[in-house]
Amino acid sequence: MDTGVAVRIKDIDDTPSLPMTGAAYLPGVAYDEMIAKGGDVRAHYAALQSRISTLGAGELADRQRMLERSFLLQGITFTVYGADSATERIIPTDLFPRILPAKEWAKIEAGLTQRLQALNMFLADIYGEQQILMDGVVPRELVLGAPSYRREMQNVYVPHKAYANVCGSDLIRGQDGEFAVLEDNLRVPSGVSYMLANRDASKRTFPGAYREAGVRPVERYPDLLLATLKSMSADWRSNPQVVVLTPGVYNSAYYEHAYLARLMGVPLVEGRDLVVHDNMVYMRTTTGLRRVDVIYRRVDDDFIDPLAFRRDSSLGAAGLFNAYRAGNVVMCNAPGTGVADDKAVYAFVPDIIRYYLGEDAILPNIETFLCREPAQLSHVLANLDKLVVKAVGASGGYGMLIGPHASAKERAEFADALKADPANYIAQPTIQLSTAPCLVDGRIEPRHVDLRPFILSGEKTVVTPGALTRVALKRGSLVVNSSQGGGSKDTWVLAEEAPSNGAGGLG
Amino acid sequence: MMLARVADSLYWLGRYMERAEHLSRLSSVMLNATLDQTDAGAQAVWIALSAVGKTEIGAVAPFEAARSLVLDRSDHNSVVSSLARARENARQVRDQITTETWERLNLLYLKVTDEGAGREFADGSANFLHDVISDVHLFKGAADATMSHGESWRFMMVGMYLERAQLVSSLLEVCFAEGPGREINDHIALVSLLRMACALEPYLRVYTAEIEPRHILEFLVFDEDFPRSIRFVTSRIEEHLAVLARHTEANGRTGPERLAGRLKARLQFADLDELQAQGASALLTTVVNECSRIHEAIYETFVAYPLEMRLPA
Repeated sequence: MDTGVAVRIKDIDDTPSLPMTGAAYLPGVAYDEMIAKGGDVRAHYAALQSRISTLGAGELADRQRMLERSFLLQGITFTVYGADSATERIIPTDLFPRILPAKEWAKIEAGLTQRLQALNMFLADIYGEQQILMDGVVPRELVLGAPSYRREMQNVYVPHKAYANVCGSDLIRGQDGEFAVLEDNLRVPSGVSYMLANRDASKRTFPGAYREAGVRPVERYPDLLLATLKSMSADWRSNPQVVVLTPGVYNSAYYEHAYLARLMGVPLVEGRDLVVHDNMVYMRTTTGLRRVDVIYRRVDDDFIDPLAFRRDSSLGAAGLFNAYRAGNVVMCNAPGTGVADDKAVYAFVPDIIRYYLGEDAILPNIETFLCREPAQLSHVLANLDKLVVKAVGASGGYGMLIGPHASAKERAEFADALKADPANYIAQPTIQLSTAPCLVDGRIEPRHVDLRPFILSGEKTVVTPGALTRVALKRGSLVVNSSQGGGSKDTWVLAEEAPSNGAGGLG
Repeated sequence: MMLARVADSLYWLGRYMERAEHLSRLSSVMLNATLDQTDAGAQAVWIALSAVGKTEIGAVAPFEAARSLVLDRSDHNSVVSSLARARENARQVRDQITTETWERLNLLYLKVTDEGAGREFADGSANFLHDVISDVHLFKGAADATMSHGESWRFMMVGMYLERAQLVSSLLEVCFAEGPGREINDHIALVSLLRMACALEPYLRVYTAEIEPRHILEFLVFDEDFPRSIRFVTSRIEEHLAVLARHTEANGRTGPERLAGRLKARLQFADLDELQAQGASALLTTVVNECSRIHEAIYETFVAYPLEMRLPA
């Protein structure tokens, strides 16, 4: 008999209560994920919205607390070092899921697959024949002069030509409701553990609405990742040893590294656990040295091997890169993939897709001005108050000017920096990111969100039907990076048709 | 097969958890004994503080002494520091221990490092320590019930039992070593000693309520079944190391296993008359020293072995 469980779920999800009073949800000018222009609730949000509207403010607060507690318990935290003690904080997490209907997802999935395919072909080309540079599709100095271009990778054999095995692209939805790609992350993208943890949490906070909606599962991510990593190893190694390489426990994404290693059932190693001998990589185990075949490395290019890259790095292993070149070990992602997510190369991605695949990009780019071009620079300087300007080499929301939100003084300073080193900057129009309902100080309010889906590429390319939705928690803010006070929420990708599994009545 | 660094962390995880439990129990028994203003209370304080090598803080009130044993973060040997280090080790091997096990430890850590912990301790130290000890038990139970009893778990067990062997030996040394120490004959002080070793009820079942120093010594050193007797503990250490040694490439019997086997045999075939004839401190010192040697041998064999010996030809 399963009734005990059913009753419990009902208790959590269906306690009768007063609806939220005096808290009308009023989206602004941006596209809202839940409410359409006319004020009607979008069809795919109907179930959740009716669920929320029956909950009182107290109950919502209770659920939010329950959610935060579950993160704290699991240790999904980062440490804030204070004056005399260290306290642990959780990444802010919002309890309302963001919902995407099947049709929209189908387009995203096709677009991301196409994009990553083209980018992998681009990487194989520039680290090989460099045909695309000879044909003048992408300026030669833009690629070869980028700091993320690794000359050491020239003519290295990469199985299946899959350079970027794990990719997390940032998508945003503009005022017209269409998704566009803001950024490709091909180096060591993180956040997938939050996608999985958020899902775990939202199944507990809204079990009824979850069941009714027919949400596609994301839980297979770890085994798909393992299959992708194994597909990268040499054929003659019958049972390849996969490891996750982490910079260590003080890294802010350490939780994720341990989480993925645990769910894949593979060792979580640090640089000091690895030994390279005769171009073979071994790990130090209790029973001696053991050969390593595939390294899912969560350490940046610069730090993986003090002999090949930064000499002062102690996070990698000496000789690792030579072992890689010799084909005795595979690193995922390959070193040097960063050149394809460079902010200046980004502007050429639609051309890259057309060049290799002969297709138009399914997901458009954001219009981008390259300040290296004198004509575009003068346009940018004349319109600084309307544009977002980004430093090419920076990430995480640093080195960025949001024109409309900046003061005249900040704009003047940025203009000087632009003129001093134009090649280091790009500019894009300020996009009103779409908004989604969030619980802020006990009220449901619209907040700007983006979308980071995760794409795996080895022998085949797979897009996990889910994503991390990042939230700018400050009212009106457009910056969603967690280093800049952003939070996250679960993302429900709906199946084609909601299943009628007869579980109705539990709400 | 597991990473050497991981084995090291699991070993220390076991040691720190055992230390946290023992220190909590000493503090709890000490505070309880001093509720009555008797000489036995003073003796209990002396036993507890000598056993942890902290006689210098004996000058302060027992409550303050216990408070610093439990909550002083600047003291590396307090309960809160032990738990913080246990958790730090657990975090580094988060992929090796089950979620159930991790959650017990994480909850306990959040509890003792909470801002309100000091006030909670002041409001009811007995309750607070009781909860800490039962949380450590929950952790051990979760590890036992949910982790595979393979290499990871065994390294944790070896750490736990080695720590226990050393802690119980130190406790007994304080009470039974010959020399200028105090002879403990007071009934209540002896009961406190048994409580500090978590041995009161099991002792009563064997010897009834006749509490004799001689019987206590016999029970805590030679009993075959009591999980905190030195004999029991050394026998577990040997058992776990024997299994762990089977996997190593090193030929023949390995260092730690051999040392543990020798120590086990020594306790298995000794008896109380012999112990008293030679003096208890000789044996207890041997146990403490042999445990240190086993600890070093574990490092040489499993963790910090020279690479030259293990590289493929």
